[in-house]
Amino acid sequence: MKITRRDFLKGSATTLFLAGFNFPVFASTSKKKNLVVIMLRGGMDGLCAVPVIGDKNFEKKRKSILIENTIKLNSDFALHPKLNAFHDCWKENTGTIIHATSIPYTQRSHFEGQNLMESGGRIAYQEKTGWVGRAMKLAKLQGDGLALSLPMPLLLRGVPKNNNYYPADGKLPQKDTLELLKSIYAERSEEELLEMMNYIKKRKKKEMMTGSSGYSSDKRANSNLAKEAAISLANPNGPRVAVFEVNNFDTHAAQGGINGTHTKCLVEMDGIIKNLKTYLKQEYNNTIILTVTEFGRTIKQNGGLGTEHGYGTSIFMAGGLLKKSQVYTDWPGLKKKELFQGRDLNSTIDARSVYASAMSLVFDLDFNLIRDKVFWGENLQNLSDKLFKTS
Amino acid sequence: MKNFFRKVAFGIGPNEKIPSDPLNWANSQITDKIPEFSWKGKYILSEKEMRKTYWREYRYKEDYVFRKKYKKDPEGFEKARKQLEKDTGKRFWPNNEICIRHTEAVRSNSPVLAKLWFFWANHFTISDTQMMRWFSNGPYQREFIRANMNQNFEKMAVEATLAWPMIMHLDNKDNVGPKSISAKQEWRRTEKRPATINENHARELMELHTISPKAGYTQKDVIELAKIMTGWTLPWTRKADHSHDVKFDSERHEPGKKYVLGNEYKRGKKSIRLVIKDLVNHPSCREFIATKLCRYLITDNPTKEMITPIIKAWEKSDGYLPEVHKAAIKVAFEYNDKYRKFQNPENWWLQMINMSGATYSYPIPERKMDKFVFGYMMSQEHRYSDWLLEDLGCNPYASKQPNGYSDISTDWMSTELIIRRLLYAKKAFHRFNADDQIDNNLHEKIVLKNFDNADEILKILSKSKSNEEKHIILFNLPEVLKA
Repeated sequence: MKITRRDFLKGSATTLFLAGFNFPVFASTSKKKNLVVIMLRGGMDGLCAVPVIGDKNFEKKRKSILIENTIKLNSDFALHPKLNAFHDCWKENTGTIIHATSIPYTQRSHFEGQNLMESGGRIAYQEKTGWVGRAMKLAKLQGDGLALSLPMPLLLRGVPKNNNYYPADGKLPQKDTLELLKSIYAERSEEELLEMMNYIKKRKKKEMMTGSSGYSSDKRANSNLAKEAAISLANPNGPRVAVFEVNNFDTHAAQGGINGTHTKCLVEMDGIIKNLKTYLKQEYNNTIILTVTEFGRTIKQNGGLGTEHGYGTSIFMAGGLLKKSQVYTDWPGLKKKELFQGRDLNSTIDARSVYASAMSLVFDLDFNLIRDKVFWGENLQNLSDKLFKTS
Repeated sequence: MKNFFRKVAFGIGPNEKIPSDPLNWANSQITDKIPEFSWKGKYILSEKEMRKTYWREYRYKEDYVFRKKYKKDPEGFEKARKQLEKDTGKRFWPNNEICIRHTEAVRSNSPVLAKLWFFWANHFTISDTQMMRWFSNGPYQREFIRANMNQNFEKMAVEATLAWPMIMHLDNKDNVGPKSISAKQEWRRTEKRPATINENHARELMELHTISPKAGYTQKDVIELAKIMTGWTLPWTRKADHSHDVKFDSERHEPGKKYVLGNEYKRGKKSIRLVIKDLVNHPSCREFIATKLCRYLITDNPTKEMITPIIKAWEKSDGYLPEVHKAAIKVAFEYNDKYRKFQNPENWWLQMINMSGATYSYPIPERKMDKFVFGYMMSQEHRYSDWLLEDLGCNPYASKQPNGYSDISTDWMSTELIIRRLLYAKKAFHRFNADDQIDNNLHEKIVLKNFDNADEILKILSKSKSNEEKHIILFNLPEVLKA
């Protein structure tokens, strides 16, 4: 039996766990728009990625790890010279940087911070759902999330039937076996397992597995996952949301300059943007790609040529739904008294204002509704007309 | 009741008797003496030997010899590096370590101890950095974690904190007092390497290893603890890189008194042990660990009633781990019928191997692992185990972050993770020899030994057309995914 995702949503086997949810709008009048979130784990150093120009104080504090030959973006900010794909977006007027921003978390723990960057809340481990998942539920978009990682990130939780892709090494069992297991899960009301089984049955048809020979580690590289995700997102019946993870931004030591570990991580992020743009083709115009991180890093380098956990950082955004290329910031300055606790770049824009504004556009939801239902009515700014094409 | 054998261990194998007194069976494995490893292969090397021989050689040659020699020849560099991997056994070691680890689960007389060992190794995770995944994490988990499971928690915490892999992995080697003697040395100015605090290890010592954020410490506490930890470092020399033993360098130690959570600590080498003593005796520490144990063994959401007896055992025994473990096992026994815990992929895989009796082909037998020859390609079997765990998403030596792997069920739930369960149930079936594969009573034996609802399960399995299919179905049934 051949079923497509849309058919499946209407299928009778799903009624059990559709209880409490409205059916998605199948024939939406507006065109399909995509959101891609790249999670930068470990604390992305906004000042390494997007350094400030001509600040003697900054240069002095980072003598040994300063990036040279940066690309000048405007009179105040430059771009890390290895971010070629993002620079291309910038040149095409589809690259935006939000600077001096952060989620409202200042305690400098990775694990709490990463939990909060995904949940969107203020108290670590309190929320069991993510801000993207909640917004998708609000927009009645179930079965529209795709994670490019082995586990399901918290960020997407809160709406049922998210899929993920991270190719496995081997061949799936026969269709009959899957059917039998599926019927057992249905009988036992194992809803989550049932959801997975529906995707697994489909997976086989789409031949997303690696096959029986060889190792699949290359296929799991983020650049390849970006290609696969872009192809799915570009499909009118495909997912609308994709979530990536880039690890190892936590460079307490040997952060290095142009060839350091922080650069490697940024280049990995850039590779995702590059392949998304390439394989989304026309659909890049209907997409917002944005980054999330738990915190920035200290202005001052430490003795190990690294940086410590900080606060303010930057967000990268790319895609045809952006208003224009710009560094959008309310720059707080880097003098000691201007720093957060005298050591970190301050945050003058709640990162969640950016995310709420982006989702308002992509999910066709009123900003205030997102603010109230996804972010508990917190004091977030509507930045839609400043950052995105609103018509 | 039979569920208990999977909850605290890896189920009952086909040749084992079902213990008549499960609690006694479990407790008898938690002794004052840690048993020898059941693995009888020739490589059970110490952390120090692995570091000083293999890690050092790899590091030195790659970083100093090859980088210079192949400066303008990236292909030559890559070729030399690959040969170096073979010469140092880089990819062989974790495979060998997994064999040692998994043998404890499926071929030893103390599988309960093994399941708890995995818990502690994850608690004091060394994540995948500085090539320690290949050379050090296995030996570290044997020598600093398992070997201390008959000590009090304080001893384990001190040893793990000052272990070479931990100091390396959480950057304490770079934690230098800004007012220390070292800070004033001329070379720091000429080389632009100012002495600064590195907070990383101090923060994780509190957050992950002892008291958890619930204790309410502040950023100031983190910095003060980091100052106490200044000086605990790994000397560096060109030929040995950082492979020297951990030592306390008083020249790098921050002078003056420090204050953590209101307690005062004098300068010096002893202060680290004193502060760890206070941290492990903080009420938040035992509550944190008791909660984690219950989460690992019983449920995602442990109740106060579950945690309390473990905390009491801790208080009564001064954190003596065998007593803490026995208390946790008892609670797991009491809640056995009420709660089912979704098993992480590694524990699930080991239960499957153990219950089905495929232990003769997994872990890869000693005689096969011992055939590894340095300098040459590894066979398929030599690299089977590391890849298996990587693919399952649960490689104990390659955790991405210092907080290790999650014990929350939903974190193990995704399309791809369930695909892994299907693929590896099938792969486990093919670890049987041909005779077993055609034995039509095979699954009945497994089910009768390990499940109270045997009739129900057998009825489901009767719908399967082949033994292979039965294997896939059985090990993906909800009651088998959970324990």
